Amino acid sequence: MHLSHEEFLQSVSGFLGMFYLALGLMNGVAAYYLWQLAEAQHHHAPTAEHPQDSHLGNKSFGCLFLAVVFSIMSPLAFSGSATMMAPISLPQFMVDGVNYLFAGSLGPVLYSTLSVGLLAVLFLGRRFFVRPVVAWIVWNCMLVLLAVCMTNPNFASIVMKPDNVPIVAMVYLLAFFTWLATAQAVKNDDRAKDGLPPLEKLDDEKILVWPDLVYTELICMVAITAVLILWAVVLKAPLEEPADAAKTPNPSKAPWYFLGLQEMLVYYDPWFAGVVAPLVIVGGLMAIPYLDFNKLGNGYYTIDQRKFAYVTFQFGFLVLWVTFIILGTFLRGPNWNFFGPFEQWDVHKVVPLNNVDLSEFFWVQWLGMPKPKAPPDVGAGAALGFAIWRELPGILLLLGYFTLLPPILATTVFRKFFQKMGLIRFMILASLLLLMALFPIKMVLRWSFNLKYIIALPEYLANF
Amino acid sequence: MADKKKMSVEDILAACRTDKPGGENVAPSSDAESSGEAAPAEQAPPEPETPPSEDSPPAKKPGEMSVAEMLAAARGKGSKPAGEAKPKAEKPAAPAKKPGEMSVADMLAAARAGKGGGAAEKSTAPKPAAKSAPAAKANPATAEKGAKPVPAGPLDTQSILSSARKKDKAGPITKAEAAAKGESPPEKREKKKVTMPERPAYVAATAKPKAAAKKEETRRGFFAWAFGSSLAVGFSMLTLTGLISSLGMARFMFPNVRTEPPMKFKAGTPADLSPGQVETKYKSQFAVWVVRAEYEGQPQIYALSTVCTHLGCTPNWLEAEQKFKCPCHGSGFYKDGVNFEGPAPRPLERYAIRIADDGQLEIDKSRVYQQELGQWADPGSFIGPA
Repeated sequence: MHLSHEEFLQSVSGFLGMFYLALGLMNGVAAYYLWQLAEAQHHHAPTAEHPQDSHLGNKSFGCLFLAVVFSIMSPLAFSGSATMMAPISLPQFMVDGVNYLFAGSLGPVLYSTLSVGLLAVLFLGRRFFVRPVVAWIVWNCMLVLLAVCMTNPNFASIVMKPDNVPIVAMVYLLAFFTWLATAQAVKNDDRAKDGLPPLEKLDDEKILVWPDLVYTELICMVAITAVLILWAVVLKAPLEEPADAAKTPNPSKAPWYFLGLQEMLVYYDPWFAGVVAPLVIVGGLMAIPYLDFNKLGNGYYTIDQRKFAYVTFQFGFLVLWVTFIILGTFLRGPNWNFFGPFEQWDVHKVVPLNNVDLSEFFWVQWLGMPKPKAPPDVGAGAALGFAIWRELPGILLLLGYFTLLPPILATTVFRKFFQKMGLIRFMILASLLLLMALFPIKMVLRWSFNLKYIIALPEYLANF
Repeated sequence: MADKKKMSVEDILAACRTDKPGGENVAPSSDAESSGEAAPAEQAPPEPETPPSEDSPPAKKPGEMSVAEMLAAARGKGSKPAGEAKPKAEKPAAPAKKPGEMSVADMLAAARAGKGGGAAEKSTAPKPAAKSAPAAKANPATAEKGAKPVPAGPLDTQSILSSARKKDKAGPITKAEAAAKGESPPEKREKKKVTMPERPAYVAATAKPKAAAKKEETRRGFFAWAFGSSLAVGFSMLTLTGLISSLGMARFMFPNVRTEPPMKFKAGTPADLSPGQVETKYKSQFAVWVVRAEYEGQPQIYALSTVCTHLGCTPNWLEAEQKFKCPCHGSGFYKDGVNFEGPAPRPLERYAIRIADDGQLEIDKSRVYQQELGQWADPGSFIGPA
């Protein structure tokens, strides 16, 4: 079923109207709360615990302003007409620009670079971004961005899929919780500079499991049940045709939490990305307590005291896991092609790709000779020898990566780590780190050189 | 234990009447618990000790109290005893065997008496007399043992109460109190009296009895030999069940009717295929593409498997792009089945193909040809130009 633009706007107008109304309400409540705080301040002298905030009135007014703006946008959205919705629609030049940027085979490159860059900016500027005023504005912008993009039919069709709605919600939840933790960590780091104990230590009163915790759990249970029921009623479970071995859905997607791994499978052999890598990830996470020698940061949020651990974990989680889940969910379309956020999912999109193994690069392109090939009548041993000779560049490269880099790291960047951890622990840490780094390295190689496998031994089901 | 708790005030009183020395009537409750050797060993010592003369009041013996005394004590204290008796009941409940201490039943009785004291006091002489008989029946151990050391006739409530009232301290006595009175706890005396049985002389095993025992055991142990212990029975049953179920599983693997398509099938004549055509109509049933195209410059007809060599999804033939494209991870294959994009590590597999006697193409899926193993050169994997 294909809707005209008018019909499409009609179909989303109800949701958008409610959404803007909710945004207005959210800001209205915030304005009221801040106003109450300001009122209370008039009657109480400032204390060390509650310093006077002279900007509370301004903040309250700002929220009120936003609430009014959203309240105006809400009826515009409810109208459902193209002319009325024009101010709150995504301008066409934006759509074209984004489509232009993400067209071609560089889509994933751009996406990954942008998300890594954004996360890096957020991390480096964390002291600025965790401020409540900034965070509130960013939060509003994020929500408005979603609403504005919803006026694009291609974007809306993917985001409003019943499968994807909870994933969108989770992206926003994750942003909120990351902000919360970072804000706490920044506060604690500032306190640590002043020689004060972390905030968590001020309020470490013990509470009772019964009734405090159990009642909280009960309330959560009831609330989640209610949400699930509502969700099940509002969003119909997408039932598809009966399974058919001869017909794979296109695109065929793993459960959302495995989409990061599915993205890895695009770059790696199934044995590695599907079996070895998940095991190493789980094993590596389990090894963290044994590798960690930093005793700080126990029981409170901090970034400065555990910079290496924080950055490594957030790179693995936010970059290598979450952004690829988002990529897999929203930006991978038919035939696992990359589609920009406003691009139509065209089954026949052609992305010119010709992936080449490293051995091909080495023998054919650089040495200008055919790849070594075993004569057809040799034994199994000789055939293996030929295959290894053929893949020798890749094997040497990988061996060098895993054997030469750890000592180099131990003597340079991670000198302190090596001294504190000893040989075995350091080698485990280095191997895990190098393996983790291989994922983005391989992706970059694929994107930039169309490199398929560093070691390609399909005869023995071994590729890397 | 059960009948201990069930004892009513009347029962206890009746028991008291037939059994004068207080310590004795506590014993039966312990007899019920302790079985075999323990019971006689504990019962034995008090027997020679029972001598206290009949006319002397039972309460005289310090450290030992009859139920009657306790009752009396409880009554004497008025409303208090219920509260007093309960906490004490917790401690002596377990080691109730010792004559100096009280059984749970006693405590309960004392408590009950404290509450419903009026009723007990009202009871007249004939009534308890009549009740004593059933009580004795209900508690045969009490009756039997009581009969031996107590030749005296039944006592009435009044005499029991009066004798109890003479006592200076009411209620049960703790060990500490007993010690304060200068009396050693009774169980110590008991211990002294315990005599070790003579160690039986060692009998050297002889061959003869051994043989006899063996004979006897083989006969008795027939079932043990046949089925072993219950453990062996369990394990043999487990093995048997496992065996049967694996046999059933094996049978399950060879169904009577196979709904899957045959491995060999006919796919039309070569003339049905135009040059460069990828026939997709066998995909849904047989998972095969029949292709008439060139491979390494040679015009061929071959049958390609529709299973992606990456993770086994089913690619689609895209006519416009002239390639097989997998929807799962984007692997792409040329028309000849060779992989060129995406993560697929090797080309699609070929099935055996030949021209049958009737001139039709016959594809045999049971034989697979893999390019990376150099098997595509095998003449069974394609039909060359005629």
